[in-house]
Amino acid sequence: MSDLICVGAISGAFGVRGEVRLKSFTSDPTAIADYAPLFTEDGKRRFDVTITRPVANGLAAHLTGIATKEEADAMKGTRLFAERAQMPDLPDDEFYHADLIGLLVLDTGGVELGRVRAVHDHGAGDILDIMGPKGETLVPFTRHAVPTVDLTAGRVIVDLTEDDA
Amino acid sequence: MARSVWKGPFVDSYVLKKAEKSRESGRNEVIKIWSRRSTILPQFVGLTFGVYNGKKHIPVNVTEDMIGQKFGEYSPTRTYYGHAADKKAKRK
Repeated sequence: MSDLICVGAISGAFGVRGEVRLKSFTSDPTAIADYAPLFTEDGKRRFDVTITRPVANGLAAHLTGIATKEEADAMKGTRLFAERAQMPDLPDDEFYHADLIGLLVLDTGGVELGRVRAVHDHGAGDILDIMGPKGETLVPFTRHAVPTVDLTAGRVIVDLTEDDA
Repeated sequence: MARSVWKGPFVDSYVLKKAEKSRESGRNEVIKIWSRRSTILPQFVGLTFGVYNGKKHIPVNVTEDMIGQKFGEYSPTRTYYGHAADKKAKRK
């Protein structure tokens, strides 16, 4: 589990008054402002975010420390990160994708199967994408198939029946 | 043009057989199918199908609101990972 999670990116300047065009990766695009302060990848720069309005391909926003169009242009391509602690706690059996990705995957016998590479949702329930030495395995994220998710220990236990593999 | 009602929904017969066999066995296993064109029927609710997307079988947990759709709609053929950001997954 990393402390910083990528929640957006600056795709350039918007207008001539130091606004930036912000691309949001959050479920609700405007929720990116709720996770402020945002940081650059190295954590050296810190921004507070004020969203001014939705624009084509993103949101127009004021970031603290960016006052001119030139400064905004210079930030083009910068990815913005939020602290994991800024995200609200979730009820039982609900997890952030960012917390699940990278967890060690074991089967019920304790054999290592790989690590969680991604979490997909194609409209028919969440799916864990597990990458291991034997290749890719997709497991439905249900209590039956994934009986244990231990974020503290950094592992999930999956119950693979023969046809899952 | 919509399919004629008198024909009923289209389902490949092997899908029906596999689903019936799985339901009788009572085991909660992924039923591997290649038929993306088959319609999801009410008797499939609660079962999990592995729908082939040309490369792998994508697990599809059938719920009531999926009835009448085709299996292929839930098994995309192109990969997109995107950003995790604040997205949530719920264990059902």
